Amino acid sequence: MASQSAAERANAHRRRTLGLRQDLTSFWFLLPILAVFVVLFAVPLAQTIIYSMTDFNGYSLNMHYVGWKNYHSVFTDASTMQGLVFTILYAVAQTVLVTIFAIPLAVTLNRKFWGRNFARSLFFFFSVPSLAIMGMVWKYIFSPMKSGVFNTVLGVFGLGPVPWLSNSTLARCCVIFIAVWAQIGWHATLYLAFLQSIPEDLYEQATVDGASSRQQFVHITLPQLIPGIVTSSFLLMSGGLKVYDLPYTMTKGGPGYSTYTVTQSIIQQGIGQSQYGLGSALAVLFTVATALVVFAQMGAASLISRRFQ
Amino acid sequence: MSSSKSPTLTLSQRERQRSAVRSLVVLIIALICAVPLWYILINTFKTVPDMATNPLGLPKQWTLRNYTRAFATVPIVRSLVNTLIVTFFGVLLQVLIGALAAYGMILRKSIFTSVIGVILMIAFVIPTQSTLIPLYRMESSVGLVNTLLGLIVMYLGGAVFCYFLIVGYMQSLPFEVIEAARIDGAGPLRIFWSIVLPLIRPILTTVVVFQTMSTWNDFMTANVFISSSNLRTIVLQVYNAVGQFSTDWPSFMTITVLALIPVFVFFIFCQKWIVSGLVAGAVKG
Repeated sequence: MASQSAAERANAHRRRTLGLRQDLTSFWFLLPILAVFVVLFAVPLAQTIIYSMTDFNGYSLNMHYVGWKNYHSVFTDASTMQGLVFTILYAVAQTVLVTIFAIPLAVTLNRKFWGRNFARSLFFFFSVPSLAIMGMVWKYIFSPMKSGVFNTVLGVFGLGPVPWLSNSTLARCCVIFIAVWAQIGWHATLYLAFLQSIPEDLYEQATVDGASSRQQFVHITLPQLIPGIVTSSFLLMSGGLKVYDLPYTMTKGGPGYSTYTVTQSIIQQGIGQSQYGLGSALAVLFTVATALVVFAQMGAASLISRRFQ
Repeated sequence: MSSSKSPTLTLSQRERQRSAVRSLVVLIIALICAVPLWYILINTFKTVPDMATNPLGLPKQWTLRNYTRAFATVPIVRSLVNTLIVTFFGVLLQVLIGALAAYGMILRKSIFTSVIGVILMIAFVIPTQSTLIPLYRMESSVGLVNTLLGLIVMYLGGAVFCYFLIVGYMQSLPFEVIEAARIDGAGPLRIFWSIVLPLIRPILTTVVVFQTMSTWNDFMTANVFISSSNLRTIVLQVYNAVGQFSTDWPSFMTITVLALIPVFVFFIFCQKWIVSGLVAGAVKG
């Protein structure tokens, strides 16, 4: 009896040490990413939160606690607010527009026609070059001078040069237009993947029942694409909120602050002008906003996927 | 529409007709969308006055002077090498760290690993923008600002994204293979290297392609952290050329073309993996 329990105890001990050893191995594999997390995420985020409540300017060593003053300044600063407005406008507009155009494009690219592979590759290729570079090139295309491409084309029809990027509304439209142009192909490819996983017999059945192709699109294709729409709009929304490259290289945030973005504001005020407190307060608010959007979309996604499966 | 016009056409004829219309419409739209790329390319062969009067047509007189000037005035090769260095090491380390972590996570389920799972979830949500100011100070205090190494360190944050893609794929692996190797006496590192890594090659390809594209194209981090002209990445170099060639548009376009050639070549070679990776990632989650 006693010997049996001793054996059991020994066994349990062996199991425990084995478990510990496995914990340790698992720990070694996780160590690099933990280091990355501590150095690149946890410590800097904590510092951002601390800076956001101080008047720290990067040089003087004695910083003072100022409470919510920086947060107050964020909401009363006109340029920051304009950056916020444009960032939200950009994120929402690109999400809606890319979705509206990418789905029909994907449906068309899914049908058979001559030159299909070429068209698929070409549309996808627009998203491969850096948006920063494309922003600079489009600046020349939208040049307000007569030699700008758009104004040359308009000139052919006898229309005067349009001040594309020097008018606030037009500049905003131009930036969003390019974002849509660059991302349609990528998202169409994403939708294509979802389209190809729709069972063919759904359509066959509908054809037998006499449904028109428009009816088939509304009642079969769209509902089946909902997981795709969730993925795509998630990427567009979270990417849109982080936008910096495109408006910065195209317009530098101008004219005025009409295409200013939150990220540009963080970089310019926080690093450029050494207003660490203000920049950090903005960064904290930005993190919270992004996290809310991400979690809201994750929640929506799980709700939707539960409903459709 | 077509049925009312030609009721005598058979079904296959009608389908052929439709597909011809589709070809025409899609290819015309695609080519219109491609005009900016044509615009960049064709103007590199023009002189300044030629480009100003005729931005979209063929050059009146073909010239290669823009290319010789671009190579003579801008350290393009240097920038390409810089970009290659940061992209190669950045992506290699990101993917390696991500894969190691994913393996560590599936190796053993404990409170410890679930805590790490939550931690990484949080890290996934934190945008780089929010940590940029302290990271800039941190790197500047250890002399890493304005160095390629500092830039590579910044890119390591991408490991979290790699981890999420890889761990999803790893969960579908046959765990018995790993178990069998362990019984045969292979150490964890050896199992990782010679069994796990080859098994997850499809997802590794996807992750490498994605991270290569985003690291190569990065503008924000490079623009904040790099100030010396000889350390600029290619995107920064193009950005700088805008100011340098403010009136010499053809030279600017030439630098853009030179910057885009590697991306284009990469796209041609990796197109298959880019698209299939996108598809695999999308359908999964």
